[in-house]
Amino acid sequence: MSRPYGFFYALIILFLLFSPPALLAIEADSTHVAENDNHHFNYFLNSEKRGERLFKGLTRIKTDVTSCVSCHNIEYIDTLNWNPSALDIAGTFADKSIAEFKSVLMSPLGKKMEASHVGYTYSDEELGYIKSYLIQLKEDTLHEAKPKVNNLIVFFFLGALITMALIDLFFTKKIKYKFIPILIFVLAFGYQINMLADGAMALGRKQNYQPAQPIKFSHKIHATGNKIDCRYCHTTADESKSAGIPHVNLCMNCHVIVREGPNSGKFEINKIIKAIENNTSVEWVRIHQLPDHVFFSHAQHANVGKRECQECHGPVEEMDVIKQVEDLSMGWCLDCHDKTAVDFQSNGYYSNGFKKLHEDLAAGVIDSVRVTDIGGRECARCHY
Amino acid sequence: MKKHWKSLAERKNGSETPEKQNLPKGNLEQILDIFDNGNEKSQSNRRDFLKLCGYSLAISTVLASCENSVQKAIPYLIKPEEITPGKANYYASSYVNGSEYCSILIKTREGRPIKIEGNDLSSVTYGGTSARVQASILGLYDTSRYKNPLKGDTKISWNELDQSIIQQLNQLKESKERVVLLTPTIYSPSTKAVIEMFLKSYPNVKWVQYDNRSASALIKANEMCFGKAGICDYRFDFADVIVSFDADFLGNWLMPVEHIRQYTKKRKLSDGNTNMSRHIQFESRLSLTGSNADYRIPVKPSEQALLVAQLYNEILKLKGLESYSLNDTSEDIRELAKELWENKGKSLVVAGENDLSIQILINGINYELENYGTTLRIDKQILTKQAIDSDMEQLLTDLNSGKIKALFSYGVNPVYDYLKGEEFAKAIDKVPFSVSLDMAPSETSSRFKYVAPDNHFIESWNDLEPKTSRYSLMQPGIRPLFNTRQFQSTLLAWIGQETDYLKFIKNYWEEKLYPIQTAYPNFTGFWNNSLQQGIFEPKTKSVFDTKFKLDGIGELIDNIANAPKSSGFELQVYESSAMGDGKMANNPWIQELPDPVTKICWDNYLTVSPKQAEEMLLETGDVVELNSGIKLPVYILPGQAYNTAAVALGYGRTNCGVVGKNVGVNVSKLSQFKNDSRVDSSIGVEITKTEEKYELAMTQTHHSMEGRAIVREASLREYLKDPAAGNESHQEYENAGIYKKPNFPNHHWGLVVDLNSCVGCGACSIACQAENNVPVVGKKEVIRAHEMSWIRIDRYFSGSEFNPDVSFQPVMCQHCDNAPCENVCPVAATTHSSEGLNQMIYNRCIGTRYCGNNCPYKVRRFNWFDFTKADSIPNNLHDVAEMTIDLKRMVLNPDVTVRAKGVIEKCSMCVQRIQEGKLNAKIDGRRPRDGEIKTACQQACPAGAIIFGDLNDKDSQVVKETSGKRNYYLLEEIHTLPSVSYLTKIRNKETNNS
Repeated sequence: MSRPYGFFYALIILFLLFSPPALLAIEADSTHVAENDNHHFNYFLNSEKRGERLFKGLTRIKTDVTSCVSCHNIEYIDTLNWNPSALDIAGTFADKSIAEFKSVLMSPLGKKMEASHVGYTYSDEELGYIKSYLIQLKEDTLHEAKPKVNNLIVFFFLGALITMALIDLFFTKKIKYKFIPILIFVLAFGYQINMLADGAMALGRKQNYQPAQPIKFSHKIHATGNKIDCRYCHTTADESKSAGIPHVNLCMNCHVIVREGPNSGKFEINKIIKAIENNTSVEWVRIHQLPDHVFFSHAQHANVGKRECQECHGPVEEMDVIKQVEDLSMGWCLDCHDKTAVDFQSNGYYSNGFKKLHEDLAAGVIDSVRVTDIGGRECARCHY
Repeated sequence: MKKHWKSLAERKNGSETPEKQNLPKGNLEQILDIFDNGNEKSQSNRRDFLKLCGYSLAISTVLASCENSVQKAIPYLIKPEEITPGKANYYASSYVNGSEYCSILIKTREGRPIKIEGNDLSSVTYGGTSARVQASILGLYDTSRYKNPLKGDTKISWNELDQSIIQQLNQLKESKERVVLLTPTIYSPSTKAVIEMFLKSYPNVKWVQYDNRSASALIKANEMCFGKAGICDYRFDFADVIVSFDADFLGNWLMPVEHIRQYTKKRKLSDGNTNMSRHIQFESRLSLTGSNADYRIPVKPSEQALLVAQLYNEILKLKGLESYSLNDTSEDIRELAKELWENKGKSLVVAGENDLSIQILINGINYELENYGTTLRIDKQILTKQAIDSDMEQLLTDLNSGKIKALFSYGVNPVYDYLKGEEFAKAIDKVPFSVSLDMAPSETSSRFKYVAPDNHFIESWNDLEPKTSRYSLMQPGIRPLFNTRQFQSTLLAWIGQETDYLKFIKNYWEEKLYPIQTAYPNFTGFWNNSLQQGIFEPKTKSVFDTKFKLDGIGELIDNIANAPKSSGFELQVYESSAMGDGKMANNPWIQELPDPVTKICWDNYLTVSPKQAEEMLLETGDVVELNSGIKLPVYILPGQAYNTAAVALGYGRTNCGVVGKNVGVNVSKLSQFKNDSRVDSSIGVEITKTEEKYELAMTQTHHSMEGRAIVREASLREYLKDPAAGNESHQEYENAGIYKKPNFPNHHWGLVVDLNSCVGCGACSIACQAENNVPVVGKKEVIRAHEMSWIRIDRYFSGSEFNPDVSFQPVMCQHCDNAPCENVCPVAATTHSSEGLNQMIYNRCIGTRYCGNNCPYKVRRFNWFDFTKADSIPNNLHDVAEMTIDLKRMVLNPDVTVRAKGVIEKCSMCVQRIQEGKLNAKIDGRRPRDGEIKTACQQACPAGAIIFGDLNDKDSQVVKETSGKRNYYLLEEIHTLPSVSYLTKIRNKETNNS
């Protein structure tokens, strides 16, 4: 049993030794590798490279034309760009002919594209280069990279600090004042514990989670701009556990006519039409998600409890990109159950039961009945 | 009070379990054993455990800094109109498995069938189900099913298959060679029409029906006696006296679901009913029916014929008719005849043996008792069994002679279950062209040259007529999962018709059934309504003069009287009430359902009487060899007639998928073919003890009654004098504990179990397993007492070990208001709700098992391994029955958490159904109606023995039942204040002190 323990130790040491350069390498610019001597030789023969230069506006063609990349971002960005990303375009045109690509690019139909694509004169050859660059881009970036802060580095740095403090305290004794290593130990260890606790509590929670979605759907445009009620799309919120992610055919109720958006032009709306035509599904990234052992019902809260959607989901009608506002933790649920008063009179279920509570209400012993008072904190209401 | 005992060891030694040499290992030792791979020499100690703790801390640190995985939310492209995500849909349909029938509702979630419920509109099954009906949902997701049409072992397309088969059929037709279509009894009118069309197109085809458990003699006897072949419609609910000669009508006889319902309806003592039927059973083995009888007389199978003849003779005497001279009529038979005669017109005599002379005499008895027209009628018939045994014998001869050039087989498995299975296998191999239309590979279908796989019944359309003018529709709950096509469509394809069988049924109904009714002015309305209800039951009046006319009864009685008496050992084969005929052997739920009487699962075994065991020095688990070469483990069964033995069919499948393969021994060949019919008992069997030992997986020995009044019972006479008879020790104390009794401001959910209605069939256990995602643990774990069932049925014997009284008691979590489990949980993972539920929160449980230790009812189950793949550590997985593969996980109920390793679980009183019922009431702005919320066990119960309701609702049925004098609580002397209560068992006996 002692051998794996030692092995684990060795692993930590190895990790500490080699992790900084390894992490550095990840963050390094990928073009750094491309400018290697071996690749340099083929540089001007490579159509992808030519396409890249064209796309990024590095080849001079005409001074008054903005480069593609200034609108169509190549890498993942965390600010909203209504224009389709390079990847999006690659996905759409990968299997289309050059002529089609050209017709969309050079003679745009939508208003938005007309404004930006005015005066484009790419030759077929150049378009071919751009297209092959896009295809390569799509193959290279199968997975979208995501920015992340690696807590582990800090954690292990603190660990090393603690080790050094302890070694000095007991063995080397280089520091004159003993309170310094003790202080270092206490602070570092305390911070580590704090990190652990935070990390453990946040496990499985996604407050402020706002990933890029496959379609740049804006709740702001639909709910505020066009004044569409939440339940028009989330149809089952009043009758079922699930509020329902609108099925694609439902989008077509309006988008059969509305073919162009104010921000994104035709590109995003075309994705819905394409999904319907090709019989492919739209894979949204799920944001609000409770663990499997929690059984939450929209019908109970939105219909029976008459809660507003925004109480849990935040000001969705103001969001261009949907975001999880609350942490959806159990403590957050219970806080609301403690505070919220139940409408005890209008629903027959409540008005015809709970004799004792009704008497107390009438006698003025209590001023209102909160969810907690009728079992809102009990485990088996949500866990079974 | 009667002394109850649970096993023979307990009766003899006073204590229940024999001493074991190896002391059980402690908690930690068992855990560490897992890491040491069971190597006993390696020493694990506390320090290792601490190191493990250290590791887990380190691992959790690493995990804590991990990112959440990206989850996708994929909406429907075009949402089907009827589907609401998160809400279940129910489709009325029918369950069919050979001659088993049940009207059902298929519960689907997002288009995925997850549960089967009984259809309470049906006047055949009245909303009841059986264990096999409940378990059949898992068969849909069975991986062993055929997934493609096959030629030999190679996949072919339906087109190729159809072409080559049509070509062959035409060739055979031209050369006028004989072809046979072998099916089980077809009681679907439309299917019959399809087959008739098929026979018309290919006149050289002969259609043979084969029921492995046929009622051949019964059908023939009725034909001979009344001129109308078929099986009578029995009404056990109209009978005051029921006499059964070895007919296991509550277990597997003809229509167990219907008969359990009728039987228990007559025996319920609620609503002031005091007219309970009296049930007398003659049998050799202790069957489910026998264990529910008021009087049970153990007799050898060979003695039955004489007893029936004597009974007939006595009744003739009492009626003043010409009687026969029969000697040695015992006083018991005379008494019985007298009792039957006193109840003439309100009695029912049935026999299970497939023996023509017995069945004729039984008809005679019922006729002389004037029972025809009241408790049974021949003009209305049970149509699920129509096959005649001699047809099969003839087929075998024809196959052997090589006359038959092609064989088509659908839904039967004679190689496995026919008494000459091996001979049949050889005969099939000789047939030049053979096609199987089965759903799953079997011993028979694997020998066929072509396979045209059938759909599962949940994927099929069909109509059925299980009883005369009781029509029932089968509609699919899902599209076929594999590349299969239903049998009827396949036949239609082979005669060049359109393969849309639904259209065919509709046309048939429009033509034949629509004109019968008058309620609907157009066919669409009629069809939609029938489909929605699942049934169509037109009122038809039939005029049939039931006249018993048969010559030669005297001769028959003479033959019986003069037959040589056998003194030797007799063996009987039977269908166990859980497994049935073995078609569902690959269903792990059925395999793990213990037999109601012996409490053994995952095996078949030879039951012998205690006296026999003493003489032969046999113990339970000893292996014996029969003179036919079959080796079987022995189980000593109290109540088994001396010098007899019995063994269950349905085991020992060799080709059925991994679960049921080679579980137990196939004993089909122990039946015999005598006098033109299959006989299940045989004389002249010898058994010899071998040195081998075999471990049987029993769920019985773990819970002892320890002299306490757990099952309370009384005789009917005592009950009539004092409704509290047998329940003398019942006393209710309000706050006797140190904790204050909780109050329930809104609901107080409770269950009441009527022990007088419960027959012990086990449908509730499987229903609970399906509803609550209860895992399968396998034989080895059952032996280690790690079975997971949330509701178990305890079986107690009382009285003499040669003919004991049997009591069944379903035990689930009692939801105590003063729960011993709740106050020992260190993490508050089990708490009490304000609605009286004992809540179990899996995600809070850390697995100390203190609650399980402190539960006096032993209903809490611990997940020793990861049975469900809910655990993130792959090495923990323990899956003996493929239950964690994606396809089978489709059966999981999405409304119930799938538990991981290391947590306790138990009955939640179907809290998900309570929550759903409450929510529906709130949406409508009303209180929940009594009976609106049903637990899974209650819904499944064919006997109506379990009633759920709100104890705070004074008008509810559960309050009505619990306020009676028969009500008591389990171990009420320890003041746990359960929410589950029981009603005393009343036996229709003179006294109850056997």
